[in-house]
Amino acid sequence: MIEWLSTYNALIGMPPVSVITSIFGAFCATFAIIICWPKLVRDFGPIGGFMSAAILVGTFWLLNHKLPGWGIHPDGIPHPEGGSKQFGLIYQAFRGSCPWVDMGLAIACGFWVNSLLHSPRGTRRANVKECLPRAAVALLGGIVGGALAGLVGFTGANLF
Amino acid sequence: MKKQLSTFVGSAIVGALAFGIWPEMWKSYGIMGGFLTATVAIGPMWYMNHYLGIIRNPAGTLWIDQGLPIAAAGMAWGVVRFYPNCHLVHALPTALCCIVGGCLAGWVAHLVLQQMEKEGQP
Repeated sequence: MIEWLSTYNALIGMPPVSVITSIFGAFCATFAIIICWPKLVRDFGPIGGFMSAAILVGTFWLLNHKLPGWGIHPDGIPHPEGGSKQFGLIYQAFRGSCPWVDMGLAIACGFWVNSLLHSPRGTRRANVKECLPRAAVALLGGIVGGALAGLVGFTGANLF
Repeated sequence: MKKQLSTFVGSAIVGALAFGIWPEMWKSYGIMGGFLTATVAIGPMWYMNHYLGIIRNPAGTLWIDQGLPIAAAGMAWGVVRFYPNCHLVHALPTALCCIVGGCLAGWVAHLVLQQMEKEGQP
């Protein structure tokens, strides 16, 4: 059982145990941020937001995204004992060579579901319809920003 | 159209900032670099996007968090930066796990907050 759980499974692109750790990591970060961030902002104003960014996002980044060794390597970091090892809870699938999956996705989904459940019954359908264009534009903006930031790899400038 | 412009610009900036500097900071300063980036990137970007309201979230509507553009930017950044070795389809299982975990947390947080409100806790 342990062996099956921790063996790389080509069908889902990750060891089955990583499904559990990914879901748990996403849950931890999202729950803590939904509960704490608005309360910290209410108590401390904008300073509370900066505090949240540092202590909540920073700490949960460590839990979810820290990588073995130094630096992001698209093929994963080879371990001395063979294979690539993953230490963050959210698995970067396909042995780390997949596009980066950020815990921001979990946090955004959590806030969205939370506000959906908080809105009174009867207004939910209209609310979902209202938020779709905003979500699409936010997604599009993120794609444009990320792609432009990724383009630095193609400049070919050898500075050092 | 004009109404969505601020959302678009804010999303693009937060996505580019997170993935332009986070990996470099990690490479330079290790784990403390991650903490530092969370403070200097997510902090000001939260102030701009959510405290000042550049990502539009009118009162009483569903919350679009800046995590959404950051996640989209992470995938786009990976695909472009490591082209042609990086395929979007490989990210789907992990993304699905993240969505499941996030939605679960949103639901549980709703239940917890409801109960806290009932008991009159802060």
